Amino acid sequence: MKPPGGSWGRTGRLARPFIGLLLVVVLGIVLSPRTARGSLIFLSPGNLTDILMQQGEIGIIALAMTLVIIAGGIDLSVGSVLAFGASLAGLLLVRWTPAVSGPAQVAATIAAVCAAGALLGAVNGVVITGLRLPPFVMTLASMIGVRGLTRWMTGNTNIDFGFDAAPSARFSDLLAQKPLILSVWAVLAVAAHLLLARTVLGRYLRAIGENERAAAFTGLPIKAARLFTYVACGGAAALAGLIHAARSHQGNPNDGVAYELDAIAAVVIGGTALAGGQGTILGTVTGTLVLGVLTNVLRLRMVDSNVELMVKAVIIIIAVWLQRRGRSPASP
Amino acid sequence: MRLDGRPVTWSGSDEARGAGIAIILQELDLFANLSVAENIAIGNPDLESGRWVSFAALARAAAPHLEAAGLAVDPAISLGSLSVSQWQLVAIARVLALDARVIFMDEPTSALTEDAVERLFSVISRLRSRGVAIAYVSHKMSEIFRISDRITVMRDGEMVGTARTGATSIDRVIRDMVGRPVEARRPDPPRAAAGETLRVEGLSTRKLRRVSFSLARGEVLGIAGLVASGRSELGRALFGLSPVLAGAMLLGGRPHRPAGVRDAMKAGLALVPEDRRQDGLFMRMGVRENTTLACLRSFATAGWVDREAEAGAAERELAHSRTKFAHAELPVDALSGGNQQKVLIAKWLLTKPRVCFLDDPTRGIDVGAKDDIYRLIATLAAEGVSVIWVSSELPELIANSGRILVLHEGAAQGILPSASAIQEDIMRLATGRKGAP
Repeated sequence: MKPPGGSWGRTGRLARPFIGLLLVVVLGIVLSPRTARGSLIFLSPGNLTDILMQQGEIGIIALAMTLVIIAGGIDLSVGSVLAFGASLAGLLLVRWTPAVSGPAQVAATIAAVCAAGALLGAVNGVVITGLRLPPFVMTLASMIGVRGLTRWMTGNTNIDFGFDAAPSARFSDLLAQKPLILSVWAVLAVAAHLLLARTVLGRYLRAIGENERAAAFTGLPIKAARLFTYVACGGAAALAGLIHAARSHQGNPNDGVAYELDAIAAVVIGGTALAGGQGTILGTVTGTLVLGVLTNVLRLRMVDSNVELMVKAVIIIIAVWLQRRGRSPASP
Repeated sequence: MRLDGRPVTWSGSDEARGAGIAIILQELDLFANLSVAENIAIGNPDLESGRWVSFAALARAAAPHLEAAGLAVDPAISLGSLSVSQWQLVAIARVLALDARVIFMDEPTSALTEDAVERLFSVISRLRSRGVAIAYVSHKMSEIFRISDRITVMRDGEMVGTARTGATSIDRVIRDMVGRPVEARRPDPPRAAAGETLRVEGLSTRKLRRVSFSLARGEVLGIAGLVASGRSELGRALFGLSPVLAGAMLLGGRPHRPAGVRDAMKAGLALVPEDRRQDGLFMRMGVRENTTLACLRSFATAGWVDREAEAGAAERELAHSRTKFAHAELPVDALSGGNQQKVLIAKWLLTKPRVCFLDDPTRGIDVGAKDDIYRLIATLAAEGVSVIWVSSELPELIANSGRILVLHEGAAQGILPSASAIQEDIMRLATGRKGAP
């Protein structure tokens, strides 16, 4: 009557993603260049918080992606929705002259972009649950479709945010702040963790992802729960799009390509099973940090960005292999 | 391990198979998406040679083994369309095709109907006369004593003892299995209390034909029938999982037309499904989480789970069903089959149902756990819950039901009071041979 996971036990299973994080941090310390005064650049507070900020967009998306994957789905459209959010923000801030202006326009933009992202997520969710399309297929279609929509509505041009007193510049100054990005990410991470660990909905999501048939026999609201995950994922991707626009000072309809893969990689490195049912937010945050630290280390060493991709691939494989070790083979 | 007196070690199941050892697992290791013939050929070096597959040749090769196992289906149809009982027969045919010298059978009859069991026994005796050694794992005493030469009892991973079948007795074996003498094998058969809870009139679905019966408060109704007789379908219809084509159901005097599972649950029904791993439990979730999932909302305020209330309720219900587990957070996968079944039953009893449908709850579990389930059924009835339960084993059905409804090909063949029911009569009705008393 040993729990699967063998000698690792429950704490061991929870700790596994951290081993990966520990490894890349050690790698960072070893490989870090030094300042003129001999201290490690990698460990400087500025560098460490930079890592967090650079991972903020992927981190926020990965939180919602964790919910989607735990409930047995996948969302490939988040990169396109991010670009859509960034571009829509640009349209609303730069090309739109509303009756209200100043802070009210910024606030309205933030609300409208998040709502639009959630709406796109709802379209994914409704088609997947209502028409029973495989999540992979539906979100692949919307990844393509939303990219087209975004380019079409911007005329495939970057929308520059300008400077000084323009509302777009104010928006950029506000949302590109390190503390703000980090606290939004932290608050959402805590919320997602509590949702999974403490609420009825969180339990339902895990149950549905683990065994959909049994969930149906138990009378669980499968469609509503799944729909929720896609709405959350669309909203999170649009929110990440707002941050992206603020940080890059523009709305670029061609940004965010392959972000869905980074987000999924973070979730998987964090120990969430792609087959659904199992996973933690803590793991996903750790997985996001592993990717972030790794990128940072390689960039501090001025490693070719193509080599960076190859190293990332190896890290993903090692991280997931580390987690699979000791797990009992698939149940009969 | 020694084979033919020589020590052997295997690094994988293919090596063991090459040495002439085959196994029929309790949880069937078959592929629902492949055809019957492909399932028989897969992993079989004789049938699987070469790169190209000829489906016609496969079907031809599979046919004699299917016939030997007593399964009359087209080898080309997909396995997914067959019943659990038929799956079991395919698993047997697959092992026959391997032409093994040693065969392990783990509870091969747990999903079989009585006529299929007979066929399996004749297959076994044919194999035995060809010199094949068979290790046969079963909880069913009658089977073991009928077909074995020697009996080995195992308990908690240890060998308790081995004896020649002629030199031991059922009571002795049961005593060894349980580790304590089992005095009262069964509680008193429950009595029907006054007042009708459920009435089913001319119920027809895709698989049921005009079934009628009435169920009183605190009554235990047993359902007898072969695997495809519609016995599971009855539970599905009551639970809103199978559309009702004609007829009516009355629950507490009010029409019962559930649009889905949640409707049925609200009306006070519970369904413990036959396939506990696929339809009942969430194997990697914890014992506590499995137990409370069907009524999690009742432990929550505004969607927020009160973990103490939840854990307390789970603990009480699990103690009530005598479920044994090391820790409530362990995944149910780590429990024995009997304890898994009890977790599943506890899950549904926690919803406080008025009518509880248990679909073959004693399938593939040990004697002690069966006893606990009989006791649970009796307790439920005493508390006023109406119980409908299905079993493939007639003696236990007779001993633990007030009346027995016999189904054959979706139609009710009769309702017998268990006090006067004898197995032969029930079998005759269940196999569609008329002329019962």
